[in-house]
Amino acid sequence: MALFVNILITAAIIGLAFWQIVKVVRRSKQGKCAACDYKCEAKKMSLTAKRRPN
Amino acid sequence: MTTVALFGNPNTGKTTLFNRLTDSYAYMGNWSGVTVEKKVGMIKNTNFAIVDLPGIYSLNPLTKDEAVATNFLLTEDQDIILDVANASQLKRNLLLSIELLEYGKPTIIALNMIDSLRKMGISYNQHILAQAFDCTVLMTNARGNKGTQELKQELLAEDPCLPATNFELPYPSSVQQAIKQAVNRLTQDYNFEPHYAKWLAIQFMNANDAVVTFAQAQELRPLLEQAPYYQAQHFEDKIYQARLAFIEATLKTAREAGTSPRVRDITAKIDRFATHPVLGLPIFIGIFYLMFKLTFDWVGTPLSDLLDAFVSGPLSTTADQWLVAIGALPFLRSLIVSGLIAGVGGVLVFMPQIFTLFACISILEDSGYMARAALVMDKLMSKVGLNGKAFIPLIIGFGCNVPGIMAARTIEQPKERLITTLISPYMSCSARLPIYSLFVAAFFAKNQAIVVLSLYFLGIVVALVLAKIYQKVFRSESESVFMIELPEYHLPQPAIIWHGTWDKGKGFIHKAGTVIFGGTVLIWLLSYFGPTGIASDIGHSFTALIGQFFLPVFAPIGLASWQAISAMLTGILAKETIGASLMVLYHTSGRTVLVASLAHMFTPLAAYSFLAFILLYIPCFATIAVIKAETGSWKWAWYSVVSSLVVAYVVSLLIFQGGLLLGLH
Repeated sequence: MALFVNILITAAIIGLAFWQIVKVVRRSKQGKCAACDYKCEAKKMSLTAKRRPN
Repeated sequence: MTTVALFGNPNTGKTTLFNRLTDSYAYMGNWSGVTVEKKVGMIKNTNFAIVDLPGIYSLNPLTKDEAVATNFLLTEDQDIILDVANASQLKRNLLLSIELLEYGKPTIIALNMIDSLRKMGISYNQHILAQAFDCTVLMTNARGNKGTQELKQELLAEDPCLPATNFELPYPSSVQQAIKQAVNRLTQDYNFEPHYAKWLAIQFMNANDAVVTFAQAQELRPLLEQAPYYQAQHFEDKIYQARLAFIEATLKTAREAGTSPRVRDITAKIDRFATHPVLGLPIFIGIFYLMFKLTFDWVGTPLSDLLDAFVSGPLSTTADQWLVAIGALPFLRSLIVSGLIAGVGGVLVFMPQIFTLFACISILEDSGYMARAALVMDKLMSKVGLNGKAFIPLIIGFGCNVPGIMAARTIEQPKERLITTLISPYMSCSARLPIYSLFVAAFFAKNQAIVVLSLYFLGIVVALVLAKIYQKVFRSESESVFMIELPEYHLPQPAIIWHGTWDKGKGFIHKAGTVIFGGTVLIWLLSYFGPTGIASDIGHSFTALIGQFFLPVFAPIGLASWQAISAMLTGILAKETIGASLMVLYHTSGRTVLVASLAHMFTPLAAYSFLAFILLYIPCFATIAVIKAETGSWKWAWYSVVSSLVVAYVVSLLIFQGGLLLGLH
């Protein structure tokens, strides 16, 4: 496998990993449900509740 | 869209009914305080939205979450009110029903848990109740899915539409006169609809805080001007007495001679021990011990070992061979095999243990024991200025600290709420489990369950000691009285246990693909490179430099491994990452190999001191953020970070140095 492909795959994995860390930090700043990784049904429903038309 | 608002006392099976009606699953527990925010679900294939509101005893809100229910009536539109009442405690439950009926919307009262009532040998005539309350009354048993289809059909019946209720309660004439005057002025001067005006007037007379605030904001003079008169005439008491008298008279008429009671009353029998003033606490500790036995000795660990053998054996070897075959260079092979498979895979092997623990917590929740645990802890909690209610957020924190802290909003007193929020991160959440598992397997193989149990209780003790200190500093005296529904014990239902376990556990899997993956790659990078480029030896990498820099600071608490210090730093992202980082830093994808390596770096005493440090040090990002969100200030979030670091250091120092003095090693 060419050096270029090796570097490309490594860079992709590292890039994705950093993106995950950035996402966690950003999400944490929002606090409450958004900060929690546990995507429980209650959380999904509270999101639906916000979108519910009057 | 037709909106159905779901009201009811806490622990009447509202959330279970919500799940039955909407064909969905919302987190529920057999104890009060589970619904802290409203939830919305749709009845399948219809345009009916059901809004599940927090359980309340009356519309007069005592806490933040109770205000959600009253404010929903004040500010949002709903077409149908569904009031869920606990059939075996109707006298108290119907007090809320009356307040809802006075609101004037089409109302259905579901007498839920009807099976419990029948077991007591009591039954009520449905038609007499329906006539007295001028609304539809149905009998349901949401847990057993009985009567729920009828209820759904009743809701969906379009022809005839559910009529608005015209319920009139015979209040004393002075109250009736005052209501009439207020309604006249409110409808004429403010264009209020008569039903709504009447409800507002009664609630105002009843000193409902949310309605008084609403009246002040809207400048409803007909009510505000008369407030002193209402108070002088004790309208609040008169209204309460009239309601109670009405309920008692109605229930007396509606009561039918039931079958002979089949009261086995197992609940009372169990409670004689479970809530016993002396035996209660040892039973509580015993149940937790059993939980850890299952997690570490009987079920979780054997399954984890099988998974570990697969990840560290066939998976790693095959991946490595395949990468060599396709021509992957050493750095990419290292990243995938020593980084991703070792780190992420190394954490995923703990899945069986985490799921076992969550299954145990779900069983405790569904069986009805959790409410007893809170009651047992009430006495202990009152000594530190809190009460049993504060134990509910703490016990939720055993799963994850974030929802635990969010549940603290059910506590009425702001100072008590703040104290509970600040001590919540000391509860040992499930994310700490992988690192406990690694160390107890390495150093305490024969006493795994008891060592983990001791860590959980160390967390509780530290939390209680800090609560006592905060009580003195904040001068907080427990003003609130702890009341909790003690539900009947249920045989846990497999479907509910599975949902509860999966709901809690899938977060762990999700984290493996996100934050643990991120943390693992970060630590791999820092261990692969050093100040001079690619580190030929991990001892010259960035992680080694960072770890060695902090080594003198941690030496007094028994830490002699720079790997452990570097791994701890990644724990701030998520506590599970500590285990993943250790796998990467010790260059192993197998738990067995890591366990052997650890045995060279730690003594059992140092290992316990390290685990205590992990238990108590800085909360993870998500927890810090939720502290900020719930307290409304970064000041408390930072305070939590600094204080937990100090507390962790002091406790670990006491454990290690104290242990050395006692001749332990």
